[in-house]
Amino acid sequence: MSSSFMNGARNTSSRSTHAQAILGPEFCERLSETKVLLVGAGGIGCELLKNTVLTGFGHITLLDLDTIDLSNLNRQFLFKKKDIKHSKAMVAAQTAGAFNPNVNIQPIHANIKEAQFDIEWFKRFDIVLNALDNLDARRHVNKMCMAAGVPLVESGTAGYLGQVQPLLKDRTECFDCVPKPTPTTFPVCTIRSTPSQPIHCIVWAKSYLLPQLFGEDEDGTGELDEAEKQGENAEEIAALRREALAYKAVRSALRSAQTTEDVAQRVFKKVFHSDILNLLSMSDMWRARAAPTPLDFNAIQEGTFSIQRPSNPSTTSGSAQTTHFQPANGHVNGKTPSTSSLSNGVSGLRDQRALSLHDTLELFISSTNRLAERLRKGEDTISFDKDDDDTLDFVTAAANLRSAAYYIDRKTRWEIKEMAGNIIPAIATTNAIISGLIVLQAIHLLRKSYAQLRNVHVQFKPTNPLSTSTMCPPNPKCGVCRDTYTTVLCDPARVTLSELVHGVLGDNEREVSVYEDKRILSDPDWDDNLERTLESLNVGRGKFLTIVDEDEEWGTIVVALSILPPNHPSDGPAFILPSPLPSPPRLEKQQSTPPPAPSRKRSAPDDEIVEVGPIAKRAKIDTNGAASSPNIASPNKRRRLEEDGLLMLSSKDDKIEDDVIEID
Amino acid sequence: MDTHYEGRSKGDPVQITEDEAAVYDRQIRLWGLEAQQRMCNATILVIRLRGTATEAIKNIVLAGIGKLVIYDSEEVKEEDLGAGFFFRDEDVGEKRVDAAKARIEALNPLVTVQALRHSTLLEQGSLEALIMSVDLVCIKINDICRQFGKSFYAGGTYIWLACSHDYISPKVTDQAHKEAPKNVKATASYSRLSTTLQLRWIGLTKRQTKELNPAVVHIILGKLPDDIDATSELGQVANSILASSDVNRQVLTSVPPDLIDAMSTSAVHEFSPTCADILKALATREAPIANFFTFDGNTGGGSVCRMSM
Repeated sequence: MSSSFMNGARNTSSRSTHAQAILGPEFCERLSETKVLLVGAGGIGCELLKNTVLTGFGHITLLDLDTIDLSNLNRQFLFKKKDIKHSKAMVAAQTAGAFNPNVNIQPIHANIKEAQFDIEWFKRFDIVLNALDNLDARRHVNKMCMAAGVPLVESGTAGYLGQVQPLLKDRTECFDCVPKPTPTTFPVCTIRSTPSQPIHCIVWAKSYLLPQLFGEDEDGTGELDEAEKQGENAEEIAALRREALAYKAVRSALRSAQTTEDVAQRVFKKVFHSDILNLLSMSDMWRARAAPTPLDFNAIQEGTFSIQRPSNPSTTSGSAQTTHFQPANGHVNGKTPSTSSLSNGVSGLRDQRALSLHDTLELFISSTNRLAERLRKGEDTISFDKDDDDTLDFVTAAANLRSAAYYIDRKTRWEIKEMAGNIIPAIATTNAIISGLIVLQAIHLLRKSYAQLRNVHVQFKPTNPLSTSTMCPPNPKCGVCRDTYTTVLCDPARVTLSELVHGVLGDNEREVSVYEDKRILSDPDWDDNLERTLESLNVGRGKFLTIVDEDEEWGTIVVALSILPPNHPSDGPAFILPSPLPSPPRLEKQQSTPPPAPSRKRSAPDDEIVEVGPIAKRAKIDTNGAASSPNIASPNKRRRLEEDGLLMLSSKDDKIEDDVIEID
Repeated sequence: MDTHYEGRSKGDPVQITEDEAAVYDRQIRLWGLEAQQRMCNATILVIRLRGTATEAIKNIVLAGIGKLVIYDSEEVKEEDLGAGFFFRDEDVGEKRVDAAKARIEALNPLVTVQALRHSTLLEQGSLEALIMSVDLVCIKINDICRQFGKSFYAGGTYIWLACSHDYISPKVTDQAHKEAPKNVKATASYSRLSTTLQLRWIGLTKRQTKELNPAVVHIILGKLPDDIDATSELGQVANSILASSDVNRQVLTSVPPDLIDAMSTSAVHEFSPTCADILKALATREAPIANFFTFDGNTGGGSVCRMSM
């Protein structure tokens, strides 16, 4: 092996002729020793892996929790059709490894948020390159890199657009220095009772109806209790409660072994007829908006159904409009004409064709039956997956039926897949450009040529396809990168919160509050947890303890927890403090603004936290049986609605505090 | 097989199937089914197979063009391995196109790939035939632009003209040499952008046949920097194209520096004004999706170039 490497040495010099000339032999030599972490082996990840391999980064660790899907193949060029369902990290490493035998690639099929990827692990790398597709993981890696002091290049693309951002603690802004836009949110009542846009109906079908019928059995009243507390219309809530009860009956019908034909009809009649009648009984609700029309199963099936949209309630004299749900091809409520009548040149894809109301009903029946059949065959719960045809059909049909009842434009299956699945169009070229730019910024960071760092945007302006901006200094109020980070190696089963906090503060003993993420563990007036072990507080490897000065005199200290070294004697001390101890900056007195994060709001000791915001992609199991990420806690209804960025608020006035809703 | 070009059948355009649409889903959502359809029916000729071409080929083959014709008469050199991920150590000494063909095909089994390797193909007669039979040509101007001046003329097809920076003789002073690394690095990323542009342009090819695009040609002519040897040659090419511009055709000019070849920083600098001007001209076009971008960085003063420093 070593002799072949020696043989390769001659090749190496040739292979790297251009790189040597461009980067200089010294830096090339350094690159071959460089340890880089690539987080993500998707669209950007594949291109980036190619670039880092060809450029000659010596040690590449490639991490991704995902498996390969058919729709990846238009851009993730390291994958072939035969690789579908296999680990992205594994296959990418194997394919790209052949591009340059002098490079060592270590693939990991796992979630970057796992505890094993703690601060000590991050510190092993000279640089981290993000090729991620969700906010949650981006923020996590940003925080880890800020804590570990490892330079990071952050990136993202959407269609023709993309951007690259080099990040280094104390030198540049971090990813969280600038607040990220909060995901679109809808009030519960808009989704449940008064939709006015297609997306409302799609969210309803995907995140409410589908789980109600095919998801986990939850009584769903907690959400309604909450909404009631928030002061939402009590009459409306009561109606929704009746609705919830009726779901129980339908749920069991879907699961019973009897013949299937009636079940879909029964679901239909409950959801699109009874429930709507129920809503209509609250006349107050429809004073200022068009009251929905209950759908008639038989009439739709016979093609005789039409909907009268009530005249604008505010102008009583208006004449009623009749909506006939004319599909694009001009057949009123009829069955889809044979495809031969689509003679306008480009015939469009099956999914892009508008369905008549009749066909929508048929799709509802067939998809409901298919899903019910799966339940009867033993599937416990079924949740929405844009690549699961049964669920997509169901959501398409249910959303469009609801739209019909509410006089809302219907969407094609193609459009609904994109909206419900949060699909972001993607092409190889944008990813390739971005990946090239990532490497350039990475090289600046590795060279410590900080003056040359730039944020780069690939944009859609012909005059200026690439724009750059110089780096901004860190936001002095940033709750992530302005903190002072330190590391404690410990055995969480043996060290108490008090020991750790006092150890870290050392001689600078003062009144502090301690948090784990957004969870408060102690404050000067509440010391119940101080003598508990970290383990009993569910704090351990990979987590952070945040120590906030009560008088806001000192900067916040964040303690990253890692494990004791392997050679640590079992009877040795339960933790190893950093040396020197962290010395947070002294803050300006009279600072009126409290530290932006973590939230100082005290919640109940055993607080329940509902995570919101885009939820990281779940790990799919590699068909090879490779390790996959740990389970994600059983989602509750609210969370399901919030997945992929659809956040449900109880009312429009609800505030989102730093991505978290705390329930008292 | 490699001594002549197999003309493609000019039958009915191929309709994209549902299965193909599933593969191309994420991009059809970007540029639409019609554009994808046109791409699937396009034949593209790439002349020379080196760093930039490798990137461009990857991107257009993944995107799903109908047919790719690659011409290169040379053998794989060891230094080609630095940017050519279609090549392996054991390919050194093989013809470039032979080494790469199977790997290009593997990128997307829906695309037909034809490899051409005989240098006689670039002689006048066969070249004209070759160019006439394809929809789009991607070449490196420094190689063969002179010969191509007339070929364009005769071709009557759409030509994507790629000017490579190594065309200009480098005048590297010591000081400039110091700056070399970053400039050249910038070019690496640029080349990738240029491939994007190429891709988009392909999507719109057919529609564009109906409209003349003299503005672009004119710009190529008019705005080239005068003080470089390269300029006059480029101008010459552009001229001859213009002369024939009564035919429906398009000339797309881009300045995609070749990752491999762009060793000359001065070249990068010198050419950027060209690019900026072309971009300006393009902006005035009515273009649903920018038909193409061309750009270069590293003017030192230009907005684009700063990104690389």
